[in-house]
Amino acid sequence: MNRQIRQLAVGLMACYVVLFVALNYWQVGRKQELDARFDNTRQVLREFNKPRGPIVTADGVVAAVSFPTLPGEPYDYRREYPTSNLLADITGYYTFAFGSTQVERLYGDVLTGSTTEQQVRGLGDLLTGGTSSTGTVELAVRKDAQEAAQFLLGGRTGSITVIEPTTGAIRAMYSNPTYDPNTFVNADFDVAQQAITDLQNAEGNPLLAQAYQERYMPGSTFKVITTGISLEAGIDPTTAFPNEREWVPPQTDDPIQNYNGSLCGGDFPTVFARSCNIPFAKLATLLGPEAMVAGVGAWGIGEELPIDLPRPAASTFGNTENLAQELPLLAIRGFGQSEVQMVPLHMAMVAGTVANGGLMMKPYAVEATYDQAGRVLDRTTPEVWKTPLSPTNAAIETQFMIGVAERGTASCCIGLEGGIPVAAKTGTAQLDDPSNPDLSHAWIIAFAPADDPQYAVSVVLTNVQSTADVAATGGRLAGPLAKGMLDFLLTGPGSQPVSATIPPVTPPPMAPPTPNTPAADG
Amino acid sequence: MTGIDVTTFASDEETHPVDSPLARSRRSTELTLVVMAALITGAAYTITALGTNAEVPPGIVFFVAILLGLLLCAHVMIRLVARGADGTLLPLAALLHGIGFVMITRLDDELAGLQATWSLIAIGAFVATLLIVQRATDLARYSWLFFFGGAFLLLLPLAPGLGANINGARIWVSLGPINFQPGEFAKIALAIFFASYLATRRELIAASTWKVGPFHLPEPRYIAPIIMAWGFAVVVMVFQRDLGSSLLFFTLFVVMMWVATERLGYLLLGTVLFGAAAYFSWTRFGHVQTRVDIWLDPWEDPLDRGYQIIQSLYGLADGGLTGTGLGRGNPGQVPEAQNDFIFSSIGEEWGLIGASAVLMAFILIVGAGLRTALRTDRTFEKLLAVGLTTIVGIQGFIIIGGVIKVVPLTGITLPFVSYGGSSLVANYVLLALLIRLSDSSARRLGELPDDPTPSERWKAWRLSRRLRREDHKAVA
Repeated sequence: MNRQIRQLAVGLMACYVVLFVALNYWQVGRKQELDARFDNTRQVLREFNKPRGPIVTADGVVAAVSFPTLPGEPYDYRREYPTSNLLADITGYYTFAFGSTQVERLYGDVLTGSTTEQQVRGLGDLLTGGTSSTGTVELAVRKDAQEAAQFLLGGRTGSITVIEPTTGAIRAMYSNPTYDPNTFVNADFDVAQQAITDLQNAEGNPLLAQAYQERYMPGSTFKVITTGISLEAGIDPTTAFPNEREWVPPQTDDPIQNYNGSLCGGDFPTVFARSCNIPFAKLATLLGPEAMVAGVGAWGIGEELPIDLPRPAASTFGNTENLAQELPLLAIRGFGQSEVQMVPLHMAMVAGTVANGGLMMKPYAVEATYDQAGRVLDRTTPEVWKTPLSPTNAAIETQFMIGVAERGTASCCIGLEGGIPVAAKTGTAQLDDPSNPDLSHAWIIAFAPADDPQYAVSVVLTNVQSTADVAATGGRLAGPLAKGMLDFLLTGPGSQPVSATIPPVTPPPMAPPTPNTPAADG
Repeated sequence: MTGIDVTTFASDEETHPVDSPLARSRRSTELTLVVMAALITGAAYTITALGTNAEVPPGIVFFVAILLGLLLCAHVMIRLVARGADGTLLPLAALLHGIGFVMITRLDDELAGLQATWSLIAIGAFVATLLIVQRATDLARYSWLFFFGGAFLLLLPLAPGLGANINGARIWVSLGPINFQPGEFAKIALAIFFASYLATRRELIAASTWKVGPFHLPEPRYIAPIIMAWGFAVVVMVFQRDLGSSLLFFTLFVVMMWVATERLGYLLLGTVLFGAAAYFSWTRFGHVQTRVDIWLDPWEDPLDRGYQIIQSLYGLADGGLTGTGLGRGNPGQVPEAQNDFIFSSIGEEWGLIGASAVLMAFILIVGAGLRTALRTDRTFEKLLAVGLTTIVGIQGFIIIGGVIKVVPLTGITLPFVSYGGSSLVANYVLLALLIRLSDSSARRLGELPDDPTPSERWKAWRLSRRLRREDHKAVA
């Protein structure tokens, strides 16, 4: 019998050798292929089950935070957005099956602590008693400013963007329609899929951060750029333009009119303040296609905005291929109609450029990132993106824009509290919708104080309807919003910002708070 | 063999009243290894908790203390009543049990609590088995009891009202709140019966005096129980839908027949018979076809029938060579990860290295069991050691092979590792029997004195008292 027992030993041994070989086949041989299969969710899931650090606003309010779930739930953590829809455009959302957006997407590795630096630091902390390596993202955006923007828009579609001209820091960037990530991030697959599909199909695409991911016809606010290009090209800022109702540009018989077909003219500051169209059509034609195209390029038009958030839009001057043969189009684009489209954030940057002595700063939404112990990983340093204006011309154009606020198209609506000087430019972009000729975008860009600029703001109300009584102009409609925003920040409750002095400490607390209430005000 | 040099001078027990150094060293080896197994388990428990919750488990000292206490209890019992036994069996089982427990804790806290209770009961059963079965040969005396007991247990789940269908297999018995799988115990009982039956009749069966055409077969009356055993395997396969257990029973019978009769024909015959039964059920039963289909190509139905095995393979691939790290993978993606698929969880988080360690532990248990079979000179003990070892070895192979797509997946537990009370208790009983056999072989080889057991002393004392009384009577 011993012979059989030895043979049995060999046989059983062989069985286990087969298992060992098979194990090598799956775990080493086909590892790459299996890992890459589309229905293999292991890697995503591992990412998803990691603790994830919070996103905090510049004034110390938690905008996104993770809590450990109770046992038995499908994922180890649930992500909550205590500010509901207020900062959705900035934080974005973070889902298991449908990816992530905005800060959640771009700073995912910092939030989960997977950057090399965090990993190395985490090793040391494990020995000294630290446990988690999640990071924190601190936004440049302020929750109070964001709330003011939401309040001022009051449900109307459009956006309000506030930047610091000298740094490019985005202090507010709110747009309607928006969404509340809490409604689907922790939901079951089917529920989440339905919610996201609904949002994608909803009018105005709420999932999009319109303020930096969408572009609109800028109307007369574009004249700030045409003026800037003209000044840089050496046009005399005191040039006088005749008072006229119509002007026929070259290559056509079709005349260009001023807004409402009015009679408009005067010296350069006056036509700027009154927002006559014909002078700017003339300027664009005078400069010619080449200089205009190069000029708008110097203002960053045609390039994606260099923001630290994913998928920014690029402003456009329209098709420029045959512009020399289509001078009427060039003339019309000179005052911001036709194919010109600007990103709202870009318009805030345009105001900021004039305010900042001609330097256009790179806009940023994230102020700094911190590791689990609150040590700074990275702090955003302000950078110049474009230099479209000389300081002299910036000063001249500031005076132009002050004129708009004091005696021009914005004079009705933008006088600031305490008489703080303000510079502005309005815009009413007529959409020329044949079925609805009175539909337009109402714009205003502004900065204040004009003598020491702290904030530049762009406001756009999209698809507004003029009525018989009220013309839907930028000054009248958007102006009060810019005023409200600047008042809030300069003299109102927002003038003494609460800064997040202590970098937020890593969560998570053990129990989630009631949904939709700010977790850590102040 | 290791015993040879000892046997040459150990022919007479009286000249060596003390244990040989070899036998004594086994116990200290065992103690060292048991402590190591406990420490490995404790370390894995801590690391897993760090990996999942990023904190050191609060009860870690308590946990290791209890674990060490249980294992030392088992170790001390071996020292007391089986001190000549192989020193690797208990530590290997403890290591597998520990790894399994860590994975179960990681997968489901609630089950971990139950498994802890079952671990306590299992160690109790281990100690009790060692105490009750002090002479391996005693088991042979109750062979028919084991036969009927085993058959009863095996068929119990089919009883209406008692049996329960869980996950498609009718192998459970529900008594109030307690569910258990009697089949886990039946396999031990039937192994004992077979060892005993074959030990006494192996020459008769091997003689093959019955001629049927060109074949020489054993006398029908000698092979009748074996045919019945085959019948059991078929019953298990057809009525309980438990392919794994069926394959296990059948392999057990065939291997024992082969070893006992020393005739390869039985191995071939058994393979052919099982193949025929398997083919028949494949053609007739949907659940068998399903198992085979998903084995051949799980990606044909990746979201339903193939989901479990595909997730298992993804988990293994994700683990790779070194694993995702304890507590850092997602073994919960595999349905039933704590039962049948515990091995893929280990492969995912501990990597190829950790999974290979588990394979090696099984090979070493098989090695220790078969070494016992080789060393002993009593046929019954030889066959029983073969049977018990085959159970552990083949069961491990069937289920590990199932989750890594080497053989069709059949739902049985991975001995010592999987969650499950019946499985754990039964396997510790099996381990105790192997240890008893191992100790017995050491005593037969004279490595330590073959002291009478307490019950033998008791009987001897009663016998001597009776003899004395009879002497008195005779004198009177």
